Amino acid sequence: MAVERRTRKAAVTALKLLVLILLVVIFFLPLVSMVVTSLKTRDDLYRIPAIVWPKEPQWLNYITAWTMVRFGKFLLNSIILSVFYALPCIMSSCFAGYAFSRFQVRESRGVFLLVLSTMMIPYMVTVVPLYLLLTRIGLTDKMWLWLLFGMQGAPFLVFLFRQYFSTIPLSFEESARIDGAGRFQIFFYIMFPLVQTAVIIAGIFAFQWSWADFLQPILFLRGEKLPLAVKLAKGYVDQKESILYHIVMAGLLYYTLPIIILFFALQRRFISGLLSGGLKG
Amino acid sequence: MRQRGSRMEGERRASFYIFLTPWILGFLLFMVVPIVWGFWTSLTNRMAFSTNVKFIGLANYLKLVQDPEILYSFQTTFIYALLHTCLAIVMGLIGALLLEREVPGRGVFRTILYFPYMIPIIAVGWIFRIFLERDTGFFNIVLMKLHLISANIAWLASYPLGSIVSLAIWQSGWSLIIFLGGLSTIPNELYEAATIDGANYFRRFSRIALPLLSPFIFFQFVSSMIYAMQTFIQSFILNVRQLRGEMLFVSPPPRETFFVMARGFFEVTGKNRFAYGLSVLWTLFVVVLLITIVFIRLGGFVVYTEVEEKR
Repeated sequence: MAVERRTRKAAVTALKLLVLILLVVIFFLPLVSMVVTSLKTRDDLYRIPAIVWPKEPQWLNYITAWTMVRFGKFLLNSIILSVFYALPCIMSSCFAGYAFSRFQVRESRGVFLLVLSTMMIPYMVTVVPLYLLLTRIGLTDKMWLWLLFGMQGAPFLVFLFRQYFSTIPLSFEESARIDGAGRFQIFFYIMFPLVQTAVIIAGIFAFQWSWADFLQPILFLRGEKLPLAVKLAKGYVDQKESILYHIVMAGLLYYTLPIIILFFALQRRFISGLLSGGLKG
Repeated sequence: MRQRGSRMEGERRASFYIFLTPWILGFLLFMVVPIVWGFWTSLTNRMAFSTNVKFIGLANYLKLVQDPEILYSFQTTFIYALLHTCLAIVMGLIGALLLEREVPGRGVFRTILYFPYMIPIIAVGWIFRIFLERDTGFFNIVLMKLHLISANIAWLASYPLGSIVSLAIWQSGWSLIIFLGGLSTIPNELYEAATIDGANYFRRFSRIALPLLSPFIFFQFVSSMIYAMQTFIQSFILNVRQLRGEMLFVSPPPRETFFVMARGFFEVTGKNRFAYGLSVLWTLFVVVLLITIVFIRLGGFVVYTEVEEKR
């Protein structure tokens, strides 16, 4: 009986593993396609019957991707915009989450619902009019706008921080308060260091949102200030403006690499942090 | 004593608003002002270079509901959002159930299945445009090698909606995480008790896991619907048009996948019809709100709660 059960359990595990491996293979296919395409010549792209692996992998494409559009410049733009957005976004969400978890007043619940309900607003309903408004007062092509864009935080991150702050015992602050610490001292010296995991999660999200954002840069920025997200679609073209897909794929690899590295470097804390603190509440 | 209580209350309120100040400022500047101004403008006849802007009431909205193309956009957007949401949920659920118990390499699988979600949507769009290409795309090559199809399929041309939906499956990592979180809240004893009572796997799933997961599934359903109704970049990238660098947004994408968001954006930036474009966006806003409210109302019937048990 026990042996039978154990073999059955092993069979189930083997089956699960098989399905998982199959899923992983399927999930990797688009990425393989990206890498392989990035190593083709332009003629290879349109050759029929299709070739799976190019005869001579064109590693030069990766240099072309870098030199063709002054890649370093646009990479820097992407980094600046993402940091500009992420820092105030983390801070503001953290502040708001702290307010909701610690300073319950009559209207807290209502305001919290208001914060969450902003999730229902399609982002274009705010961004497009904002673009028209800012153009009218001549405020375009300014990267520091991103510092302001981050200021309202993000509803999901406010929720996340609230959950994390709620797990910290009240006694931590009370003893500090008795010692005469002010509210900002308590926040920065005691509370903020205790929600590090949430700060990391929020940081990854905020950075990634801004890194991936296409709409705001294409509306608010021009030429030299564009980030990679926009430049990749416009930059790699021949004289006739036809897109050079093999170079685009090489550029995309550069573009997604920072996100992938950031994610894999911090994924252990990231995913388990999401699972343990954020979502269960 | 009472005075002290109210002073404490006042102090607490002060702290509450002090810490909420950045959010409030951002909310006013970047949400309330643009939304209100956008609505106001949608009630006028403003174009890009118009000098004579007049208030025309709801004329734009009346025009919009009589425009078959716009109505068609709303229809496809809704169908797409529903497909996107359901597939992402099913995919996430399958993944979560596979990873629920101890499987060798659980963490690695979880990371790999999650990570396509982290790839920016614009990059995913380009990757899939190449991946789904008829004659040279990797997808057809693999299917041919496995003898699953006998001739190359023009995914982007024949199944434009399906092509965009396929991204949703690939990027279902978020629902995977939500459902893993949900499954971990289910106490082990429930499963053990059910096993002792002779319940098989499917019974345990349908009678224990599914009801206890239902709030998570519901949450995921609503938020994913809101998200998918706003799909925009994929409309412009995932189709068979010849794309030209600077011209990406200049010509409209094919009708089948011209989602509302893309249409509103195109009206404003491509055709310079500011007021009309904003009225399209505002209509989407209202539709999203209505859908959310309807689903939240319906949610009460399908979501399992402990309270129900006491009936």
